[in-house]
Amino acid sequence: MTTTPRIVTVRQNILKANDHTAAENRQTFEAAGVRAINLVSSPGAGKTALLECTLRNLSAQVRMAVAVGDLATENDAARLRQWGAQAEQIVTGTICHLDAAMVQNVLEKFSLNDLDVLFLENVGNLVCPSSFDLGEAARAVLISTTEGEDKPLKYPTIFNTADVVVITKMDIAEAVGFDLALCRENIDRACPGVPILELSSRQGTGLDKWFAFVRRQMEVAR
Amino acid sequence: MHEASVALSLIEVVCEVLEEHGAQRAISLTVRLGEWASVVPEALEAAFPACAQGTPLEGAALHIQRVPGVGECPTHGPIPLNVLRGLRCPECGQPTPRLLQGDELELEELELA
Repeated sequence: MTTTPRIVTVRQNILKANDHTAAENRQTFEAAGVRAINLVSSPGAGKTALLECTLRNLSAQVRMAVAVGDLATENDAARLRQWGAQAEQIVTGTICHLDAAMVQNVLEKFSLNDLDVLFLENVGNLVCPSSFDLGEAARAVLISTTEGEDKPLKYPTIFNTADVVVITKMDIAEAVGFDLALCRENIDRACPGVPILELSSRQGTGLDKWFAFVRRQMEVAR
Repeated sequence: MHEASVALSLIEVVCEVLEEHGAQRAISLTVRLGEWASVVPEALEAAFPACAQGTPLEGAALHIQRVPGVGECPTHGPIPLNVLRGLRCPECGQPTPRLLQGDELELEELELA
């Protein structure tokens, strides 16, 4: 038995267990030909509203389902099921983000081979979800016009990992004095070159580009 | 506020290393934490002792090394990046999409008992 203290150099990613599970999820999705899209935003930016629009308008062309994370309640899943799509709630309890294991656990409820796109609606939070890869093919970060144009600078990590940024609630942009050019510039500072879409789920404007993004995912999967 | 999740994952990783080395306990550990990693060092320091209770890391000292952000400017080469100013070269304002360092969340070193 040695009793001398020893120093060992490790250099290991702390979240490697999550990354490992995320890689398994990614393999599962790829094998089934499903593209998973991780939707991240602050609470109330309109993730569920955008998904409702997407299910309502695209279900004839794209086979979609949703896994939605919240600390409590099944409200969002119930809202999404109205549009005829399968929606499973992940109740995270006190956890402020989805992790790869939570997603893995809910996957058995879906018949992945019958899907083109699986939306992973994250818990409303711009900080914590950035650290947790879920195995998604694409990460969509939403920001609403009510949130302030500097949000991409305040939460650079989440915007930096975005594959697309969606500016929501454009119908009230003028009323809340939203500076679109400044917001776009700040998004580009946090993630140079990322595609930026502007839309209003309530008014149904600007949705075409988002739908095109979703359809493109399906084409990649095939 | 996901520092408790990070602390739990950290403990998991440490326990694996302890097992590999046949060690019972860790006395101290060093974590490298990038300024762009979205983890607040104070919150991790606060969460760690509570998460470590009843594990081989109970009472272990947690040292956190901050790693500043460094990007790559096409003109100026590697340049320091301030989180508050975004991914732009501080010299010329050109976009620097790639982070050379600063997103670390790593267990660097472990002192075994």
